[in-house]
Amino acid sequence: MKPKAPAFVTGAALPRRAILRGMGAAIGLPFLDAMAPAFAASSVPGKPPVRMAFFYVPNGVIMDAWNPDYVGPFQALPRALKALEPYKQDVLQIGNLTHNSGRALLDGAGDHGRCCGSYLTGVQVKKSVAEIKASVSVDQIVANEVGKQTRFPSLELGMDDARQAGDCDSGYSCAYTNNMSWRSETQPLPPTLDPRALFERMFGTGRPMTAEQRAQQAKDRRSILDFVTEGTHKLESGLGPSDRRKLDEYLSSIREVERQLELAEKDNSRIDPHMDKPYGIPADFSEHFRLMSGMIAIAFQADLTRVVTFLVTREGSLRPYRELGIADGHHPLTHHRNQAELMEKVRKINEYHVQQFAGFVEKMKSTKEGDRSLLDNCMIVYGAGLSDGNAHLHEDLPTLIVGRGGNTIKTGRRILARRETPMCNLFLSMMDRMGVHMDRFGDSTGKLQGLDLG
Amino acid sequence: MPQRMAEKPAAGVFFDSDFATIDCVLAMGVLHGLQGKNDCRVAVVTVSRPNLAVAAFADSVERYYRGPAGNFAQVPPIGMATDGEPGETSPAFVEPFRKKKPDGTPVYRNQVKSVIDTADPDTMIRNYLDAQYKQNAFFVLAGPATNLAAVLEFPGVAQKIREKVRFLVLAGGAFPAGAPEAHIRADIPAARKVLAEWPTPIVAVGNEVSAAIEFPGASIDKEFAAVTPDNPIADAYRAYRPMPYDTPSGALAAALYAARPKEGYFKISGPGTITVGDNGGTSFTASESGRHQYLVCDPEQKSRIVQAYVELASAKPVIRRFRPVDADAQVDKPATPVKN
Repeated sequence: MKPKAPAFVTGAALPRRAILRGMGAAIGLPFLDAMAPAFAASSVPGKPPVRMAFFYVPNGVIMDAWNPDYVGPFQALPRALKALEPYKQDVLQIGNLTHNSGRALLDGAGDHGRCCGSYLTGVQVKKSVAEIKASVSVDQIVANEVGKQTRFPSLELGMDDARQAGDCDSGYSCAYTNNMSWRSETQPLPPTLDPRALFERMFGTGRPMTAEQRAQQAKDRRSILDFVTEGTHKLESGLGPSDRRKLDEYLSSIREVERQLELAEKDNSRIDPHMDKPYGIPADFSEHFRLMSGMIAIAFQADLTRVVTFLVTREGSLRPYRELGIADGHHPLTHHRNQAELMEKVRKINEYHVQQFAGFVEKMKSTKEGDRSLLDNCMIVYGAGLSDGNAHLHEDLPTLIVGRGGNTIKTGRRILARRETPMCNLFLSMMDRMGVHMDRFGDSTGKLQGLDLG
Repeated sequence: MPQRMAEKPAAGVFFDSDFATIDCVLAMGVLHGLQGKNDCRVAVVTVSRPNLAVAAFADSVERYYRGPAGNFAQVPPIGMATDGEPGETSPAFVEPFRKKKPDGTPVYRNQVKSVIDTADPDTMIRNYLDAQYKQNAFFVLAGPATNLAAVLEFPGVAQKIREKVRFLVLAGGAFPAGAPEAHIRADIPAARKVLAEWPTPIVAVGNEVSAAIEFPGASIDKEFAAVTPDNPIADAYRAYRPMPYDTPSGALAAALYAARPKEGYFKISGPGTITVGDNGGTSFTASESGRHQYLVCDPEQKSRIVQAYVELASAKPVIRRFRPVDADAQVDKPATPVKN
């Protein structure tokens, strides 16, 4: 079958949502110079849109390795953040933010269930296994407003357990520990765990491939890019050298993800043909992270979505980190009772997570968008719903914002809010930058001061 | 082994003060003494003027009574207003920090070095109200009503107060009528707002009660010193004025009555309404539908009251292991000496 021509208009600026179509493929395009006048979908005409993402790590962190002993411009980064050293001028670390709604507040045990359920919703979730109740999460509020302008209003990703039923923490449903995004009070949005499924969703036509089709494609060793070759050539012929280079880099990054997927799938069948993971989920944590975060970068680059949540592992995760020589489960380790050996293992896990995240930051920073980097036009929150996982504290939550939110956030420093400042104040300020203006969200008391330039 | 409490904990106290007079400092001691006897639980301390020295001192008192922070035993931040005038910084808030251990380290810990280390008082009160059982909290106000008036403007907080709080006891005014009193006069609009809109009953402790029962300064070097040589409240008292001196006790009376309203320490007026004049003077008008009352000094109870003040304020800290915002997770621990 002959592939369809690319859906872009000639003789004028290239539409922002032009896509390359082929059999079973629909590939969005990155921001090209040829589109500049057409960037009307952005809240600021002529400028690339601002995107937001939330990377969530569970079980808190060891705070002595997270917080530096200074406030202001970054000097040496603390141990947990060392991997971000090359990008520290793009990082804003915020201290003292609090999720009061994560606290017990007379509901007893279950801090893990509460802290994840409240993290993006800002409300005290209902303690129940059967009758879940939270609130619309900040990402979904934004997605409802800006999501119409992109192929996907939002993407919800994860790498761990996505069970939605059962008791995951002292009477709290697994829906609270295994989801970050909530479309309504009672409807969480389960994260996509399988990178192959995500890939097909992002670059497919919307119809999932059958197992036979997928097998045939693998047998033929054909890339999804092969199906849009003709359209790619047509598009390239109308572009300047700079745009051609950008397009080539972009398509190469898709091919790279595809290649990683193929390798991971081969590894999976080699390591354990009967492994209890869906098709396409790599056995290797680092590889899985790289794939998922790589696709986040592509989704932002191609403006497929402007809102992403990424539950790195579920709250209360028991995952051991054997790749670090840590056979104990993450959650039990965080109840270290101040034992040095156990605390050190948690520090290593914290570092490891940030190392994975730094790879994503590098990718975002090296991707050009207009006269800036893609990262400059994003606000990537990296954080946790607990600070001290041993004591289950919900104040001074570990929080980074990476990226300048379209040049509206002053990075390269650590700031402290007053104690007890609601995390929801930060979310209100982020919503503002996404063009969604609200007076209140969750338990906010106002917008967070001190983010801005100048 | 620490035991988890099965029953509803003692009522949570929200103490708001400008700490302009030494009885406000002593009131913290009384409240913690009452906490040691499980008559109340100090939930939140908020300072109604932007004075870091005062907030730092309040923080040190909290740390003195709560013991070292540890698992499930955090010291909640001090709430501090950032508007208004900082006012005078008494030596009472400075001298205690000059006291050193033999190794040269300060005797009293505090972690308030800048405004960042304090919390917005409205947010503190809102957040900590969430952690209280229904009708299991009370407020003690020993200063201008600035913070409490502001918190009434906070979305949803008036409803929380109605649901969780039994009453507010305020030290201020003069009753049944009298000359302007400092706490009321310091913020007349706030006093009027709180008296008009506070959603629970209000009990006032007027100047006449404060003046009639003075706290005995001699107890500082006697009863207090007998318990421990290092008590920040005693050291603040010594620095406040040249010793020896006795001091009016309005804030102490408010604290004592609030935690033990049925102990008969004071007589109490019938219901009515307190109004505030333009000069800050107060007057009480009796009415069956009124939500205000005021305490009346009972001369027969005077020595008993003074004894209670001294005993409670000088009491050895009883470390109570509860998460400040998780009242239901309270775990008690036997009295142990506090190491600062």
